[in-house]
Amino acid sequence: MRLPPQPGERIDRSRGLTFSFHGRPVPAFAGDTIGSALFASGRRVFSRSFKYHRPRGLLCCSGGCANCMMTVDGTPNVRVCVEPARDGAVVEAQNVIGSLEHDLMSVVDHLGRPFTPVGFYYRTMIRPRRLWPYYERFLRNVAGLGRIDKHGRRTVRTDTEHRRVECLVIGGGISGMRAAADAAARGERVLLVDEGPPRAAPEGFELLAPARAIGIYEGGLVPVDAGSVLYRVRAGRIVVATGALEQPLVFPGNDLVGVMLPDGARRLIRDFAVKPGERAVVVVADDRALETVGYLRSAGVEVAALVDLRERPLEEIRAVGRQGRVRSVQLDDSSFDCDLLVAAGAPQPAYSLLAQAGGAIAYDPAKGSFVPTALPLGTEATGRAGGELGSVAVPRASYDRGGGEKAFVCLCEDVAEKDLKRAHAEGFDSLELAKRYTTVTMGPCQGRLCHLASVRLCAREEGTDEKAIGTTTARPPWAPVKLGLLAGRDQETAKLTAIHHRHEEAGAQMMWTGAWRRPYSYGDAPAEAANVHEAVGVIDVSTLGKLLVLGADATVFLERLYPNRFGDLKVGRVRYGVLSNDAGRIIDDGTIARLGEDRFYVTTTSTGSEGVFEWFEWWNAVWKLDVEIVNLTGALAAVNVAGPQARELLGRLTAIDVSREAFAYLDAQQADVAAVPCLILRIGFVGELGYELHFPSLHGEYLWDTLLERGADLGVKPFGLEAQRILRLEKQHIIVGQDTDSESDLLAANMPWLVKFEKDDFVGKWALEHRRDQGNREQLVGFEMANGAVPPEGAQVVRGGRPAGRVTSSRWSARLNKAVGLAWLPPELAQEDAEFEIRVGGQLERARVRLRPFFDPEGERLRA
Amino acid sequence: MSELAFISLGAAPAASPLARALAGAAGLRDLSLLGKLEVRGPAAGRTVDAEVIAITPGRALVVCEPDDIAALRESLSGVVIDVTSALAGIELESPELMRRLTDLDLTALPVAGRFAGVPALVSPCDAGFRVFFPQEFGHSVVAIVRDVQDGLR
Repeated sequence: MRLPPQPGERIDRSRGLTFSFHGRPVPAFAGDTIGSALFASGRRVFSRSFKYHRPRGLLCCSGGCANCMMTVDGTPNVRVCVEPARDGAVVEAQNVIGSLEHDLMSVVDHLGRPFTPVGFYYRTMIRPRRLWPYYERFLRNVAGLGRIDKHGRRTVRTDTEHRRVECLVIGGGISGMRAAADAAARGERVLLVDEGPPRAAPEGFELLAPARAIGIYEGGLVPVDAGSVLYRVRAGRIVVATGALEQPLVFPGNDLVGVMLPDGARRLIRDFAVKPGERAVVVVADDRALETVGYLRSAGVEVAALVDLRERPLEEIRAVGRQGRVRSVQLDDSSFDCDLLVAAGAPQPAYSLLAQAGGAIAYDPAKGSFVPTALPLGTEATGRAGGELGSVAVPRASYDRGGGEKAFVCLCEDVAEKDLKRAHAEGFDSLELAKRYTTVTMGPCQGRLCHLASVRLCAREEGTDEKAIGTTTARPPWAPVKLGLLAGRDQETAKLTAIHHRHEEAGAQMMWTGAWRRPYSYGDAPAEAANVHEAVGVIDVSTLGKLLVLGADATVFLERLYPNRFGDLKVGRVRYGVLSNDAGRIIDDGTIARLGEDRFYVTTTSTGSEGVFEWFEWWNAVWKLDVEIVNLTGALAAVNVAGPQARELLGRLTAIDVSREAFAYLDAQQADVAAVPCLILRIGFVGELGYELHFPSLHGEYLWDTLLERGADLGVKPFGLEAQRILRLEKQHIIVGQDTDSESDLLAANMPWLVKFEKDDFVGKWALEHRRDQGNREQLVGFEMANGAVPPEGAQVVRGGRPAGRVTSSRWSARLNKAVGLAWLPPELAQEDAEFEIRVGGQLERARVRLRPFFDPEGERLRA
Repeated sequence: MSELAFISLGAAPAASPLARALAGAAGLRDLSLLGKLEVRGPAAGRTVDAEVIAITPGRALVVCEPDDIAALRESLSGVVIDVTSALAGIELESPELMRRLTDLDLTALPVAGRFAGVPALVSPCDAGFRVFFPQEFGHSVVAIVRDVQDGLR
């Protein structure tokens, strides 16, 4: 039932729409909220309370309280009093077993002690301890809010937009609009955000509605929730015009359906032309609330009693209900029949954002509320948010004179006056402690409607005043916000090599290595490995870190960074190097090519490139050498061409002499390959004759295609990471980070030949000397299995029934026809032919130490 | 051996991989093939007749037409590195799209910062904005830009 058209009403009576509530159609007008349409259709109970499952109805009608939270289109905890009605929306009640009218769980309300007083679960359900998980699961099912579908997928896209303005105004009431217009008149770029409803932007500034500022962060960053877009606003000046919050009074029955705040009743009549009740009792404490009486009368609501607390301070208020609804109200000695009780105390300025910005907030006894007293530079408050409240009456902490129902302080969390009293009696005498113990102010309204009342009660119990109690800390978010909105868009960035799409076209199975996507295999890793042994393979190694070290001190720089020598490295030669940190632990490895007297080309592992670059930059800053470091990792693509036919393939594409004599193992040359300028490193991570080509990434696809085309008759095939891992393991080449960890050093990792203790100094020298003198506690060695079992990586090494080490790498090698791997063993076991056992599944399998490469131990194929 | 020819592009390819990814996108244009030189030194790129984007004090990016790289190199002092192949780039027309992709102050360009979640250099141009970023992020960036663009429709 609707009232005749109201001046300024938000509904458009010419446009009807329908949504469903528990399967039944509910008619609404465009401009309605789901809540206003439900109320107009006769619904009075909107939710069941958090703990006691008491029926609750519309209270604030402004999206502040938790009384009208429902599940809308699968989204839980939607405040339907501000949620626009949409055609076809599916609306359901939550936290109910049965229906809102007959909730089976409301039995909790009648159980009483010892089951439900404040903090009961801390006392009654702790023993026996092992049963707590069951209690917890039960409690979580009984109490609470809406449910989310844990397996649901994201259905709404969210975006983040960054805005910079000179002036941000938060709140579009009279004061906010005036502040925005003033700033615009001064020529400032102004953005005004308002909770809504949507409306046309006035001339001169931008208006964002519906949108809520959810906090003020460091540096004046204000995130604004506009539904599917999170605006991150940075403003030179922030004007907070968030108004004031009507405060419920504490009295028995103050949560009954039919008890409303004055603004709630006013909104129902003015915005939605809905009559909030037939016969009302009104208790107000300021002029704004008093205006509601006029709205009620014009809507045809009979006002049975009106008390202005400024003129007549009451001693007692008691609402008496039947089936959860108000039936009568007692004011001191008089009783009035009614179905609507409109009541509020002095309003509380909505200061939370100001407090988050660093403003000082203090209790003002004349205003009966907390007001901002000092604000940081660049933050302003205007209107009621700043404390302009007019003449108000300060209400009593409670109007309970005994008897009657529970007098609630916090409706969201079902915390009653007696709970706070009890908490105080138990010693929780500080507001912050009482808050954590009773959960008062910790519900969905975040203290909007209960913080002031809880401070008053605390003060009364403590025998002091509100000023002495003070406020709790205001933290973002000030308004509820969906995690999905904070998460932003759901794409993540990946690094792709310049050849990536060729791998995808070839059907490669891709995997992550750090931020890179790399081919794991092209379908058959063992066959890819075999092709490298028998013909020639190509692998995209563009992910290798690539650093250019230039300058007069380049040699000195590398000599100090690496434990081995680079001063004697000839121009045009390549050397393996392993970086250690100050503690002598291995941090990365790679190859170093000398391109000139004062220039080196350094490669790093794929995942280590950023770290090594920073490591180099840091030491360069420390040593103040004449060195420039250029990170070419992304600039260059790299392809390793490996296998007995690699020379033939490269020879077809370049004019230089690639013979064994002219281009020897560990040589580096610059040359055009298929007309692409390349740096060619003759190295052999995979154990066969190989050339690593480094060239501008924009030529990536072209050179890859050319290698495959021109080598087709030689049997060239791409190979992926898995094949590479098999091949390198056959050579016992380590992978830093897989075979080593943050404890490993070069001595223990079986590479003492890389440590030149006779050098003056290098990073980690002192630590490595210390380690040398102490001896290795364990050692990294190769092993082969006695039978075909391949132990999982990480498998336990067992000796004499006791754990003695671990496997870091293991693979089946078709070439060797056996399972091989690398493992950390005690030094006394790290001897050629030493036997030990590895736990594989439930079995112990025999293994034997092999200190030399399993395949081509003399490196003849590498040097071919 | 000591010339670093392998860093420079030589003959430019007909099209960059990013141009394919941008095909059909309104208000977006591939800039990957533009010439880009990183200059290091106290006066990095100060007196050059080309677009200069300061990265840090003593480091700048100079952007030019692909054919002008060699000539420009000659005119620059300090350490000059050809980063044409290292940086991909796109031109965007819409300020609203930019605001959804970066928190940089678009009234104070050129500047180095983050764009679509990756490190980038942003400069103004007649059509709108030029953004340069590591080429390995190119496809991720284009996917994000196009998705965000869809969200604005």
